[in-house]
Amino acid sequence: MRDKIREIEKSAVEEITLAVDADALEKARVKYLGRKGLVTELFKNMSGVSPADRAEIGKLINALKETVSKALDEKTPVLSGGSDSGAQKTDITLPGIIREIGRLHPISKTIEEICGVFISLGFKVVEGPEIENEHYNFEALNIPLEHPSRDAFDTFYLNDKWLLRSHTSPVQARFMETNKPPFAIIIPGKVYRPDATDASHSFMFHQIEGLVVSDNIRFSDLKGALTLFARQMFGENTRMRFRPSFFPFTEPSAEVDISCILCSGDAAQRAPHKCSLCGGKGWIEILGAGMVNPKVFRNVGYNPEKVTGFAFGMGVERIAILKYGITDIRMFFENDIRFLRQF
Amino acid sequence: MKLSYNWLKEYIDIRLSPEKLGELLTMAGLCVDSIHKKGNDSVLEIEITSNRPDWLSYIGVAREVGALTGKRLKIPNNVAVSCGSSQSRRGGVNGNSKATIRIEEKKLCPRYTARIIRNVKVGESPKWLKERLEAVGLRSVNNIVDITNFCLFETGEPLHAFDLDKLGGRSIIVRRASKGEKIKTIDGIERILDNDMLVIADDKSPVAVAGVMGGLYTEVSPQTKNILLEAAYFDPISIRRTSRRLALSTDSSYRFERRVDMGNIVRASDRAAQLILELAEGAAGEFIDMGKEEKVLKDIDLRLDRLNKIIGVAVSPSRAKSILTSLGLKVKPLSKNIVRLSPPGFRHDLQNEIDIIEEVARIYGYENIPETIPPVLEPGNRLSPDAVIDKNIRGILVNLGLSEIITYSLLSRKTVELARSSGDNVISIKNPISNEQEVMRPALVAGMLGSIRWNINRRSKDLKLFELGQTYFKEGDNSFIEKKCLAIGVTGQLYDGWIGHPRGVTLFDLKGIIEALFAQMGIKHVSVKEAINPVFSPASCACISVKDDAVGIMGQVDPKILRDFDIKETVYAAQIDCARLMRHISLEKKFRESPKFPSVIRDISIVADKNISNADIVSLIKETAGNILKDAEIVDRYSGGQIPEGKIGLTYRLEYQDPNRTLQDSDVQAIHSRIINALENNLGAKLR
Repeated sequence: MRDKIREIEKSAVEEITLAVDADALEKARVKYLGRKGLVTELFKNMSGVSPADRAEIGKLINALKETVSKALDEKTPVLSGGSDSGAQKTDITLPGIIREIGRLHPISKTIEEICGVFISLGFKVVEGPEIENEHYNFEALNIPLEHPSRDAFDTFYLNDKWLLRSHTSPVQARFMETNKPPFAIIIPGKVYRPDATDASHSFMFHQIEGLVVSDNIRFSDLKGALTLFARQMFGENTRMRFRPSFFPFTEPSAEVDISCILCSGDAAQRAPHKCSLCGGKGWIEILGAGMVNPKVFRNVGYNPEKVTGFAFGMGVERIAILKYGITDIRMFFENDIRFLRQF
Repeated sequence: MKLSYNWLKEYIDIRLSPEKLGELLTMAGLCVDSIHKKGNDSVLEIEITSNRPDWLSYIGVAREVGALTGKRLKIPNNVAVSCGSSQSRRGGVNGNSKATIRIEEKKLCPRYTARIIRNVKVGESPKWLKERLEAVGLRSVNNIVDITNFCLFETGEPLHAFDLDKLGGRSIIVRRASKGEKIKTIDGIERILDNDMLVIADDKSPVAVAGVMGGLYTEVSPQTKNILLEAAYFDPISIRRTSRRLALSTDSSYRFERRVDMGNIVRASDRAAQLILELAEGAAGEFIDMGKEEKVLKDIDLRLDRLNKIIGVAVSPSRAKSILTSLGLKVKPLSKNIVRLSPPGFRHDLQNEIDIIEEVARIYGYENIPETIPPVLEPGNRLSPDAVIDKNIRGILVNLGLSEIITYSLLSRKTVELARSSGDNVISIKNPISNEQEVMRPALVAGMLGSIRWNINRRSKDLKLFELGQTYFKEGDNSFIEKKCLAIGVTGQLYDGWIGHPRGVTLFDLKGIIEALFAQMGIKHVSVKEAINPVFSPASCACISVKDDAVGIMGQVDPKILRDFDIKETVYAAQIDCARLMRHISLEKKFRESPKFPSVIRDISIVADKNISNADIVSLIKETAGNILKDAEIVDRYSGGQIPEGKIGLTYRLEYQDPNRTLQDSDVQAIHSRIINALENNLGAKLR
């Protein structure tokens, strides 16, 4: 009896292993486990086993049945593609049911991203009013009345004193008036300028302003912080260029360029083949920055001998346009869902 | 300013290609926007910041190139022009001359010089002169006018030549215009002046808008024989005001409003006179010089340790001194740490120590300053509570499938009226550039409807949008208020892919969004009440309250408004006042043990009068059941079929739970029966 069990096990495993199709497998199943199958027959023959051996033989037959079943189970899906071969097949090529996911506006997304970089550098996000007065928008920032430096800041007025801020810098002055250094803040928000609207101008846009003030902040810190920012935003290989410029509220001032994200500056070498983004210059301006002008510190009641600081400002739309390759600033405010869904 | 490479080389040795020169200038703060080849010349388009009017001339740029490359400036030899009566070189009216000068506004015109040149031959300019002017984008007029323009670009000092014989009384009066006085300027346009504007007049009428543009009548023409050449200094603010008021910006006004170098006036006049004698013959007449020389700029002390502290690199004292010397400053060491600096007359921008520090940093090269990381200075929260809440609102709504929009804060008055948002408290813009920006939005609905229309017109009809932004109001004339609001708009169909059937969006989809948002933000005790609002259809409009604090409004947008916005679809919208909402938000989460014992769920189906509200039924159920009832919510609502007219079939799902034990059916049975009785007795409902 024991030999027979071993023999059946050997031949069953072999047949099942070698079965090439579902039919052969089914035949093997019937041959061994069917109602008149070999394993079933063994159970029927138990009566002929001596009572002393019966328990052990029973165990062996059970083990055999298990071995054969397992072998069959394992082979079945290989051959038939499913154990439930009778059930209706699912057309797995039908599309999944997608729950619509909403999108953040690319401007919000860009603001979050920019703020995120500076938050990781230890900055705090601060906001301020969009309706401002002459003092904070101009005078406190060393932009005198009827001075050519105001040309860069055409402004919407509500009356003789109140206006729509033409940059986020007034929040600098407001913050400094009510807070003591040291601090590092970043200020996102809407700004307004009476510009005729076209593909690259909008009367409303967004800026992000940064301000760091402490007892020992240097121009080199400004360079370090902004270089980190640009690399995070535009990639590790981004090169930067700080060139001297003029802003009434910072001195020394700089305009900051990054290597062109389209041609990486190579086109500059290969003139006259001009890059559509940088015009062959190889550089794209992304922000203005500088050391806080001592006059601004004095205007808010700080002692410029005791504190130094840097400030910077950038246009969010410009950053988003560069980052995503958007071609027209008006698209941000049309809110075409086909546009919004791309971000 | 257009900078011709060849022309610039007249004043300084340049051993650099135009491209390399462009790079050098850009990195020194004279941003070169573009470089164009023009024949054998290259023209650099340079952008000059408003603090550096001394760069608004070829000699000025050459001076900078000299400082950067160590080359010497080559200023054209100024032969003192022999004057008919050289004794009159300074001071007052010349007795022998018929020309007289009178300055009535010494504040606005502290210096005025006039040179008479007689018997000039007005004619065509030589080729070299024409080429120079072409390079800077000017067209040639005649030799006299061309010379004044040439000298403006060479020296930075605007000059003007009058036809002396057309000056009434041969006199020049520098005075304010009288209100309404008129002048036809050389561009042929009649300008109406006011008494804030400075004019050059003869004995009758204005002959030039001072520092801005000359008059047509006295311009130098082919018939002109004798000229009066003006070189002067005009007050920057006055010129700027006039130029803006007349909307007329010229090469001349651009320089005057940025301040010209008063010490340069006579030299520029001499240079022009010399060229006129060379190219148009004529005889130099008297030179009249009215007003005073400007006082010398004040000295500035630079602390070398301060310099290094600001820029973050140790610039050696000798390097700092050589940089400043190259820029034309006189350097006098006062101590080991302090040097006293006397700026040259053309550097009005150098007034404080920081201006000197900037100059050193600029020439030292920003690229040579290292990069360091500022210390972390903010130990506290990185986001203000407001910003945290905004971020949460945006995140939750995006997760709920809504897309964010950003619309203009400025709108046309008409749009605001169409959106039924106009009122006395709407803020008007004083100086809009188009009627699209006349007023500030008092509500977000117009922007929302505008975006919905834009999309529907482009066949995107299924929309779930939100905007988080300011609205603006005034209280009186000098008090302006900004209020942050959240707007939500939904329209079109909801889809369940190819499995389900699309259905139209309803007010309850909108309400569900709001409920989910509020729940996620920890806002409790939310209720709605019927409301009347001009934006919404009176049949479905609700005020949303949190603990009796009205935080917002929602409903179906009034079809009349939609018609005005050209929207044919149904739109549901809401506006929520974020400042009010703030008070009820609680983002703190606290863990609570899940119930240990299972709850028992029972449904009740009733038929009730159509006018009985869900809220009435739910509150009756809750009142009757007491604490054992965990929740009661409607799961079905139907009419038609076997439901009689005027009635509605309702199914409520009731969940009973005891925190301390497993409830048995028998525990619930009594309460459940009590609820059914209450519904029947109090609300006239019938069990189905």
